[in-house]
Amino acid sequence: MIEQRDEELSRIYRDAEGPRPPQRVDDNILAASQRVAGLVRRPAAIGFARRWGVPVALAATVLVTSTLALMVYERQSGLDATAPQVPPAGRPAKVSPAEPKPAAAPPAVLPPIAPAPPIPPDAMRRDQPQQYLGESAASSRGPGPGQPAFPEVPRTPEVPRTAEALRKREEAKPAPVAPVPGANIRAGAIPPQPPVPDVQRAFEVQPPIRPAQAPAAAPEASPRPDSKTRIQSAISGSTGIRATEFSANPNANERTPEKWLEDIRKLRLDGKMAEADRELAEFKKRYPDFRLPEDLP
Amino acid sequence: MRSEASDEELMLRYGKGDARAFEALYRRHRLPLYRFLLRQVGNAATAEELFQDLWMRVVNSRGRYEVRAKFTSWIYAIAHNRLMDFYRADGRASFLSQEESESVLEGTPAVEIAADLRLDRKRAVERLLAALGELPDAQREAFLLQQEGELSIEEIAAATGVSRETAKSRLRYAVAKLRASLGKES
Repeated sequence: MIEQRDEELSRIYRDAEGPRPPQRVDDNILAASQRVAGLVRRPAAIGFARRWGVPVALAATVLVTSTLALMVYERQSGLDATAPQVPPAGRPAKVSPAEPKPAAAPPAVLPPIAPAPPIPPDAMRRDQPQQYLGESAASSRGPGPGQPAFPEVPRTPEVPRTAEALRKREEAKPAPVAPVPGANIRAGAIPPQPPVPDVQRAFEVQPPIRPAQAPAAAPEASPRPDSKTRIQSAISGSTGIRATEFSANPNANERTPEKWLEDIRKLRLDGKMAEADRELAEFKKRYPDFRLPEDLP
Repeated sequence: MRSEASDEELMLRYGKGDARAFEALYRRHRLPLYRFLLRQVGNAATAEELFQDLWMRVVNSRGRYEVRAKFTSWIYAIAHNRLMDFYRADGRASFLSQEESESVLEGTPAVEIAADLRLDRKRAVERLLAALGELPDAQREAFLLQQEGELSIEEIAAATGVSRETAKSRLRYAVAKLRASLGKES
């Protein structure tokens, strides 16, 4: 609404021929307006990149950073898990993991061993190749108690296996033809015994038990109290000499069963019945499968 | 381009990059604005310069434009400010000294337009434009804002930065003087 408008005056004013701006001024203004509008439209064209550029960059950064951090953490944890482990030179547990436990032997030489659950040999063999798969796999599962984190030395497993095989071979032999322990070494009385080089080979293959390695082997050897016996048996190897036979009966080391029985007969004939019975009992304990003659019940 | 789009809509669209909106806006207001400037400064070259500068200010203000008032009030306010700069630079200090006493004006009787000028429109226009050029700048501006910009007294006051009464006084003085120029020749 226009107040106090003089309509008559307005009509006369409108009759005046209105001046017009020059065409070049129009062109300049319109060109400038379009140029600026083009500048306005251009950011709109790249608006998508501007809108999502920063979030996508941030997301990518976070993703890469977290992935790297995870990888570093896994690697570090894997190193932490494996670093304290000392690779044992030998694995006594593999000597006879499933061997039944005989009577407890006096723990004379080896230090007290902490008990640990026996590991089945199959499971141990299954684990060994997986240790080569990768650090992350090994670290994620982690080595078992007493189980080395590093792969074994290739020659090392042969020793217990050989020792065990020799021991089994020895056990498979009939008792009567079993050699008298002391004779094999000291006197060399029985020729069919395995040659001495086997014994030497056993010592060569079997790494010396060092004090530093003893704790590593302790967990697996602990459930078997006669580990000393088995170790000595492994050392004696194919000679058929059992360690207990060295120390249990000195007399037995020097006598054949027949000689031993003959001595018992002599004791009986001499009227030393008590001593004869004691010797006979010891003989039975020593050779439980030996068929006694009828005169010695 | 829709012809019924308001000035404000066109300006907002131009602010979003629609060059055609600006073109429509320009075609709609170029003649009144140019006449307003030309009759205020009385020189075509200066009017062209001010006119171009005015529209460039509109172009550069596209991103900040908000619909707070009519587009015409906004653009004529820019024109007024541009004119003030020009007057200051030109040394024309008489712009703000044209406040006549409204009481004096109220006592003046309305002048009748001569009968012969009512018949001779061309002569009437010439006399009117001559009288318009002789008006004080503020009164002429008020009259031109009313005629070219079709602004109300309040809008004139807002565009020129004066009170409503001042704008009203300027307009009444301008009309009275113009009518006097169209009266009977003494």
